[in-house]
Amino acid sequence: MSLLSVRDLQVTYASRAGAVRAVDGMDLDIPFGSITGLVGESGCGKSTLGRALMGVLPESGRISRGAVLFEGLDIVRLSRAAQRELRWRRMAFVPQTAMNALDPVQRLRAQMFEVLQQRGGLSRAEATARAAELFTMVGLDPARLSDYPHQFSGGMRQRASIALALALSPALVIADEPVTALDVIVQRQVLDVLRDLQARLNLAMILVTHDMAVVAYACDRVAVMYAGRIVESGPVAEVLERPLHPYTMGLSHAFPDVHGGEDALVPIEGAPPSLLHPPEGCRFAARCPFAVARCRIEQPLLTARAPDHLVACWRAEEAGELRRLAAKPGTWSPA
Amino acid sequence: MTALLQADALQKSFRSRGRVVHAVQDVSLTVSAGEALGIVGESGCGKTTTARMLLRLEEPSAGSIRFDGADITHLHGAALLPFRARAQLVFQNPFDALNPRFSIRQSLTEPLRNFRVPKSEHADRIDSAMTRVRLLPAAAWLDRHPHELSGGQLQRVVLARALIAGPKLIVADEPVSMLDVSVRAGILNVLREARDSLGLAAIYISHDLALIRYVCERTMVMYLGRVVEEGPTTELIAAPAHPYTRALVAAVPVARVDQNRAPLPIRGSLSEAGPPGGCAFRARCPNAMSRCETEAPPLRRLTATRRVACHLEGGPS
Repeated sequence: MSLLSVRDLQVTYASRAGAVRAVDGMDLDIPFGSITGLVGESGCGKSTLGRALMGVLPESGRISRGAVLFEGLDIVRLSRAAQRELRWRRMAFVPQTAMNALDPVQRLRAQMFEVLQQRGGLSRAEATARAAELFTMVGLDPARLSDYPHQFSGGMRQRASIALALALSPALVIADEPVTALDVIVQRQVLDVLRDLQARLNLAMILVTHDMAVVAYACDRVAVMYAGRIVESGPVAEVLERPLHPYTMGLSHAFPDVHGGEDALVPIEGAPPSLLHPPEGCRFAARCPFAVARCRIEQPLLTARAPDHLVACWRAEEAGELRRLAAKPGTWSPA
Repeated sequence: MTALLQADALQKSFRSRGRVVHAVQDVSLTVSAGEALGIVGESGCGKTTTARMLLRLEEPSAGSIRFDGADITHLHGAALLPFRARAQLVFQNPFDALNPRFSIRQSLTEPLRNFRVPKSEHADRIDSAMTRVRLLPAAAWLDRHPHELSGGQLQRVVLARALIAGPKLIVADEPVSMLDVSVRAGILNVLREARDSLGLAAIYISHDLALIRYVCERTMVMYLGRVVEEGPTTELIAAPAHPYTRALVAAVPVARVDQNRAPLPIRGSLSEAGPPGGCAFRARCPNAMSRCETEAPPLRRLTATRRVACHLEGGPS
């Protein structure tokens, strides 16, 4: 059984031009005690999913269809009060810029106390001890609890924001691009904190990112999103070494490797479709070098092709051959 | 090969809260036609300030810059105009680099006017710039406005605008960091081709060593305002000589399963100033010796093509 199961989820934003379905028919399972990377390009719906789960969608957004089963409850159908009770206590959020999680005019101790005492019901003495414990856990000196956020570097602020998310011992932590704004050394240090905490506390974690290398470093599992849907998911090693979806195959030749060879990079030409009027068939078809007639008419569903390895592609059975072709640069050049 | 751009002992100091902050100290570099130099380092290391001085968007506090044989260190106003036409900046954020009210054609015409390119040449110049960045057919794009383009397409327009006046040098500060992964390669390939076919000199500023490796044959690593290592990019990544470069290389994640998860060979975190006296990196260095406390290591020659600022002979083993 999974800690979290997302079923046929649709999240819609109202816009002047009409309804934008940022997440549209999404299925995802998050097992207990593992880090899942949710990877995709801007506008693919990965951040929207995280925000929908946490109930922090912007005013114009709402869950318009589907179910989110968390610890056996469909949180979409819970009352607002019951949802609030769940969030922070059972699932917590780490935003991209720690400044969004931290109040600039309050000392960090006061912000920790607010969560621990008001939401968590701890006494002042308990909160004092817990705040110090949390800071130590993320590698910060508890003496710095009396600092203001601006006295911290970017990496320290992100650590503080992780400490805040962990305050009430949630079962699930959703981190939205937690290291994107950080320098590479600090990025690595924050990822190490996340990995270490996940293992020590046996947390489940969703790490939302655009960077496959970050997924490869920090995650056990990966779900690849494209235009509002999951196109492939499975264990990281399996998906990186034997991708089944052409989009995942294309991504692996699209960015440089610091220890890589001299081969030219190959971009995936074109851009994702408009989510205002998404195409009828597979959403990647217009950019896919392997698309056949069926792909433009009928949307493929996420299906298990190997144990624990799911893909939404009509040509998944030929994945071995497609991988061979995908490795040739000419395959991806525009016709 | 004579250098197109030569900077000697550049320094930039600011006054902040009553004290002097040295953003850049003693940076010297050369770039020749057809050569790409990468400058890497963390935020606050002085790489962007260095780039701004090289483009004369800032005036150095000390040191000198020669471009195409002429000293441009202290030129101002109209005297800088010929230099501006030949040294162009590629902006990091394509979403605010273009005037939203301008059509793509207007955005491309603006630099031609600024640099007094005869009107009779405009159409040809626009056409060849659009071909170079592969926005084809050009006619299909020129009357559009920025909001109708994706990030990758916008960055291609930004490149076209930088290339249109026929520069000899381009400086790109994190040219793809705002773009989606799937389209980054397209932009980097346009930049590589422009360098090869036009013999452009290029300077790339980035914190991303993987990107630098793809586009630059030579790389300079900066730490707290100083150059700590310089050399051919592949050598510098394969066998870093400075302990800071080692940490930087070790920290880059790769999209493979068999990657290095060993603890980083670095301590602490970046502070604004570093300890006074001696080597600025010593507080974070796993190899620091007593000599590092008292004596700042000069940038010295390691091999014919490599320089390093570290007391350890040949770098740490």
